[in-house]
Amino acid sequence: MYLVADINVDICAQTSCKLCTQFCPEANTILYNDQAGRDKGYKYGAAYVAVDRCKGCAQCVWVCDNMAKHNAIKMIMIDQLPNAAITDNIVYGEKSTTAVLAGPAVG
Amino acid sequence: MSLDYVKFSPGFDKFMPKEYKDMVEHGPFGKKTTVSQMGSFKEILEEHPMCAGCAMTLFIRLAMISFPNPEDTITVGTAGCGRLAISQAAIPFVYGNYGDQNGVASGLSRGLRLRFGDKPKDVVVMAGDGGMADIGFSCTLHSWFRKEKFTTIMLDNEVYGNTGGQESGMTNKGAVLKMAPLGKKFEKMDMLAMAKSAGCAYVATVVPNNPRRVEAVIKKAVLIAREIGPTYIQAYTSCNIEYAIPTDKVMEDAKNVEGDRYQFTEYVTDEAKQFLAERYGYKEFLPKPAPAVTKA
Repeated sequence: MYLVADINVDICAQTSCKLCTQFCPEANTILYNDQAGRDKGYKYGAAYVAVDRCKGCAQCVWVCDNMAKHNAIKMIMIDQLPNAAITDNIVYGEKSTTAVLAGPAVG
Repeated sequence: MSLDYVKFSPGFDKFMPKEYKDMVEHGPFGKKTTVSQMGSFKEILEEHPMCAGCAMTLFIRLAMISFPNPEDTITVGTAGCGRLAISQAAIPFVYGNYGDQNGVASGLSRGLRLRFGDKPKDVVVMAGDGGMADIGFSCTLHSWFRKEKFTTIMLDNEVYGNTGGQESGMTNKGAVLKMAPLGKKFEKMDMLAMAKSAGCAYVATVVPNNPRRVEAVIKKAVLIAREIGPTYIQAYTSCNIEYAIPTDKVMEDAKNVEGDRYQFTEYVTDEAKQFLAERYGYKEFLPKPAPAVTKA
């Protein structure tokens, strides 16, 4: 098993900093859904991780903890994620993306 | 080299992979994308085999988003880590022999000008410190002396990271590396001073822990290279493998190095300032209005 980043929507959706999307070295890995938090009654959307592209470097964790000071990202084992976004299930919109979450297929 | 090359051939759209469809429908071509929109559109850069947490990859990702016209841009590179990511992108990439990237880019840039005239086609060289300051040193310097109009970006990881950790001209004095166990005996090469004296119209140093600054620097460099002359960006992109930086501390290291020896510097010639202000409306370079005369 290996670690991937997981973003807590309840913390992320309280602000609109989006720093993690700008500091991930992998392209289209941390994506932003501007409805994710609003569905739960928060003011903003939230970032999420396409786990099949995440290499587990944890740079986003440092950025979220030390630059944004939100502590919203944690590294967890991929088989312990109940549901996750993978690239095949991500739909791009005009100004945002959405993902149909599913249990990550770990072989 | 136009928006047509990212369209589907008729009848083939349903057979194309998802990544390709996303690129056609939600890519940055023909739009103005910025780093603040990251995570909401399909990026030019795709999955690549670079190490986890590599700062060079982050810089390349930011650079690709910052190109003013990605559909009219060609990247040129050479051997080194960087080309592993630069080549995995939806814009043309030319891979020269080791060290001749600025020579290749000179011919390419001139050829594009002959073929397309006034329509801007941007050539951007991205290569490592070894390819640019050691092995490709003569090609790099001579392209600047000849005032070739393209952008040169050095991905300075201060080591030959791809071949096991030999010292390069850009390694700091005293640095001990796997293949330089006694420590480097000479100073880091001052490529910035050489770029200025060789006639570059724009010279900047940048560290990828400030994405908006990276974006601003790359946009300026590419725009100036369209008409004024050669431009040079030197980016600190640490090698977390050879310098043993834990991946989650890469940005902390970048921040420390930026505060120490890699502070942001920007050199713009007066001609380039005037060009940016008049052609692209850069307010920071507009002539300052004369102070209002107040009656005593």
